[in-house]
Amino acid sequence: MDIVLQQLVNGLTLGSVYGLIAIGYTMVYGIIGMINFAHGDVYMVSAYITAIALALLTFFGIESFPIILVGTLFLTVAVTGAYGWVIERIAYRPLRSSSRLSVLISAIGMSLILQNYVQLSQGANQQGVPTLLTGALRFHVGDGFVQITYMKLLILFISILGMGVLTYVIQKTKLGRMCRATQQDRKMASILGIDTDKVISTVFVIGAVMAALAGVLVTLDYGAFDFYVGFIIGIKAFTAAVLGGIGSLPGAMLGGLILGLSEALFAGLISSDYKDVFSFSLLVLILIVRPSGLLGKPEVEKV
Amino acid sequence: MSNAVVRKTLISLAIASAATLAQADVVIGVAGPHTGAYAAFGEQLWKGAEKAAADINAAGGVNGEMIKLVKADDACEPKQAVSVANRLVDSDGALAVVGHFCSSSSIPASKIYEEAGVIMVTPASTNPTLTDQGLPNVFRVCGRDDQQGDVAASYIVDKLKAKRIAVIHDKDTYGKGLADAMKSTLNSYGVKEVMYEGLTRGEKDFNALITKIRSVDADVVYFGGLHSEAGPLVRQLREQGSKAIFISGDGIVSDEFVSVAGSPKYVDGVLMTFGAPPTSYPSGKKVIQEFRDSGYEPEGYTLYSYTAMQVAVAALANNNLDPIKGAKWLKTHSVDTVMGKKDFDDKGDLTVSDYVMYEWDAQGKYHVVE
Amino acid sequence: MSQAVGINFKKSSIDALIAGFMALILFGPIVGVVLDGYGFNAEFGRVAWMVGIVVVGRFIMSSFFQTEKGKALAFRYANNNEGVEVLPPGHKSKMVWIIPLVIVIGLVLPFIASKYILTVVILGLIYVLLGLGLNIVVGLAGLLDLGFVGFYAIGAYGLALGYENLGLGFWSMLPIAAIMAAVAGAILGFPVLRMHGDYLAIVTLGFGEIIRLILTNWASFTHGPNGVSAPLPTLFGLEFKRRSSDGQTFHEFFNLPYDSAYKYMFVYLILFVVVWAVLFIKHRLVKMPIGRAWEALREDEIACRSLGLNHVLVKLSAFMLGASTGGLAGVFFASYQGFVNPSSFTFFESALILAIVVLGGMGSTLGVVIAAFCLTVLPEVLREFAEYRVLMFGILMVVMMIWKPRGIVRVTRTGFAARKGVVK
Repeated sequence: MDIVLQQLVNGLTLGSVYGLIAIGYTMVYGIIGMINFAHGDVYMVSAYITAIALALLTFFGIESFPIILVGTLFLTVAVTGAYGWVIERIAYRPLRSSSRLSVLISAIGMSLILQNYVQLSQGANQQGVPTLLTGALRFHVGDGFVQITYMKLLILFISILGMGVLTYVIQKTKLGRMCRATQQDRKMASILGIDTDKVISTVFVIGAVMAALAGVLVTLDYGAFDFYVGFIIGIKAFTAAVLGGIGSLPGAMLGGLILGLSEALFAGLISSDYKDVFSFSLLVLILIVRPSGLLGKPEVEKV
Repeated sequence: MSNAVVRKTLISLAIASAATLAQADVVIGVAGPHTGAYAAFGEQLWKGAEKAAADINAAGGVNGEMIKLVKADDACEPKQAVSVANRLVDSDGALAVVGHFCSSSSIPASKIYEEAGVIMVTPASTNPTLTDQGLPNVFRVCGRDDQQGDVAASYIVDKLKAKRIAVIHDKDTYGKGLADAMKSTLNSYGVKEVMYEGLTRGEKDFNALITKIRSVDADVVYFGGLHSEAGPLVRQLREQGSKAIFISGDGIVSDEFVSVAGSPKYVDGVLMTFGAPPTSYPSGKKVIQEFRDSGYEPEGYTLYSYTAMQVAVAALANNNLDPIKGAKWLKTHSVDTVMGKKDFDDKGDLTVSDYVMYEWDAQGKYHVVE
Repeated sequence: MSQAVGINFKKSSIDALIAGFMALILFGPIVGVVLDGYGFNAEFGRVAWMVGIVVVGRFIMSSFFQTEKGKALAFRYANNNEGVEVLPPGHKSKMVWIIPLVIVIGLVLPFIASKYILTVVILGLIYVLLGLGLNIVVGLAGLLDLGFVGFYAIGAYGLALGYENLGLGFWSMLPIAAIMAAVAGAILGFPVLRMHGDYLAIVTLGFGEIIRLILTNWASFTHGPNGVSAPLPTLFGLEFKRRSSDGQTFHEFFNLPYDSAYKYMFVYLILFVVVWAVLFIKHRLVKMPIGRAWEALREDEIACRSLGLNHVLVKLSAFMLGASTGGLAGVFFASYQGFVNPSSFTFFESALILAIVVLGGMGSTLGVVIAAFCLTVLPEVLREFAEYRVLMFGILMVVMMIWKPRGIVRVTRTGFAARKGVVK
């Protein structure tokens, strides 16, 4: 019993991380219909910036954990956001009027560039960050226990907060209305005076910021990363986005949670060898039953 | 690290331009993952080989001819390994190759070297298949996974007297080979593992797997894989409150293991099998000191690569630069290297396996377990 | 002089300053602060260099785009019209001259080229096959497939495992692998036909990954990550080895000294013939009703269905044909490499094949051939750059896409004209 509960906790935290990264995929897809393959590498860049910010802050003698956390979050979010903006400006905007596949290839090229740029400037070795927050909440269940570390609680808290703020921005603010208008009909939106190029840039920045949140949290929790770390987590997050219905914000979060939970439960209760096979099969099955994902709007076929 | 990239390029340029001046050179390829996910190991190979070549050239070269190194990047992909192997033997005219790193690259490349009659000395590919193919030109200066697995298994059974052993691997040629070798020796002692599972390389969240290790109540966790996964694994194991002894192989030999694990306290007590320490050889001490003086810590496979270069050069030097004769010669003669005297058996493996057990301490350093 | 063209240097300077500021934010941390354990080494000199280059580059670019030439260039990129270029009726393709020339060069090549060049060309031809296969699925039928590498793996492992377990050689596996891959294509194709565009893409991506994961995990059958060795083709039973296990080898039979280049020559020649055969079949298929149906379905599915086209059959046929070509390529790959393991069949490989199709110009056969050679030869040429190789490759991919978003070769059609003497 305690084992199943523990696996649920494991899955929940993993899933919330997938959800945060999936937002970047889903928003970009929603607005310009492209799969941003470089998004996983934006996450990777944010992991490096987290470690760099930590190193800088400790170099200047700051030791209190809350200040370090806020400082790291701020620096990482700012710089990663800039990366998101520049990537869109350089690799995607010139291709705005061409086919979606061209942009896809450009994104794959961008992903290679980011990986190798980071490898060349930071070295190929494994990097780590020191453990800052230790300890855990433990609940005794039967003769075993279920625990959740404080760091995991922080992950859950910040991801819920981040998603909440994002949902508010998209639903209630002027910027959000502009985003939604552009998503629905880009041409019409620009006729109505919305600078769609700017909106698209903003969406890339938002995606990068969410990836940066995940990057900071995951890096502080697991401590280990290298220039290749974005690849697997990127594919997983993309799977999560599709699972939930790509283009839909709540879908990305739901997809992330389902993917995280199913991975943890399958690995924990059956076999971790075939856990990825299971998640991909689950995805295929869901798409066969619901071809636009769980919360995606069914595509209307126009004649 | 800093200007390492620039410096490296300059040095290779210098070597290349020196080569065009002096015509008759001995070309030796250094094949490994110089780009891609394993590039850190490629750098170790290159540093070791580069230093060995510089030292040998400074001492007069091979029978009076200078060594010219060629960097061959395979990114640990078999496809690229075949291409660079053909390029080395064909366009570059290499007489010997130090490499490759990944066993999955070494195996297809070894056939090409055999056909071309080129000596191949791998500093790092430990998969048994490589030398079991029966090719006459393949040598390795590292051990075999099965030897390493033997040492670990007998340590677990004899010294630790453990009963509940969880075997984890990273589903890669090296990691799984090592875990399988350990497992089969373990079973031959009559001990059955309580769990045998693989994790995915590149992932960092192993909590689900660890909860499972907790649920089978393992008292030893054996991991076949590299430090990039071992670090988070041991950290999350401790965070979940498991006290199981963590044992791994030479894939975690790197100071990075500590930084990746998040804190020296997590690696405290971790055991690993690795070749006898190079510092125990007098010739090794000097080289290590020179490495450190130049600001590079000769970790992991650096000295193995140095040794591989010495072995290849000895074979060429004593046989008038004929690699086919050199390969035969190596099987009957021993070579003095920075890591002691090396003898090879008929397959090209070392006759003496020098694996010993090391333990990490709370300062993040490792030392031999007495 | 600048008056006539009217470059606003103030604007250029502002552009350059903004670019420099962005570069500082981007390069500052990643390039300037190099992590070393939990500490760091400052490398601000490198940042200064890079920011300087960006500022100067941006200034020159900004000024250039204010000149007449620059404006014309910018206009051309803003308006790249899509669609098929229609040639005048009665247009004679220059290919009539080029094709025999290429065949002659191709046949002479193995006897003059070095072994290294030959292996690169073999790899190039394998990617031509892969590109042609995926081109049917993506370029013609418009089904985005990100898991094409799965069929490639089926072919490659088919040869290696077929040889190991059933003793089947290269020649018997060549058709069997193509059929196996086609069946896999049908099994995959059937449930996914309901899906559109990018959902199809992710399902196929999942399929490719599932195949790779099974190959990795099912160690008792596939030997997992250790891989399996694969046999070479034989010439009427003659082997291309130094020593034969049974019977004669090629060089013994013809009394030639042993040379490992023979086997590459032989593989090359078979591959060369197969590629031409596939090219020919594909060329004819496109002009046949089935090829027209693929393209029609790509352009407008609803219209096709209301005209009575069986969309399931048409899509399935595209999937199966594409897959079987991928399977063929897999057999050649395994044979050429002599060894297969799952690390050759990652998602990146699928992306590379897709890049060949898109870069070549979707649907264009000639484009696929050119792009396949570009993308396989390029990394080899870039070896001179050592560790900058993959970075250069990535940059070239982005630049090529921006420079030629519709691919290297545009799809062309010969126009129709009413014949003389026909009733008006």
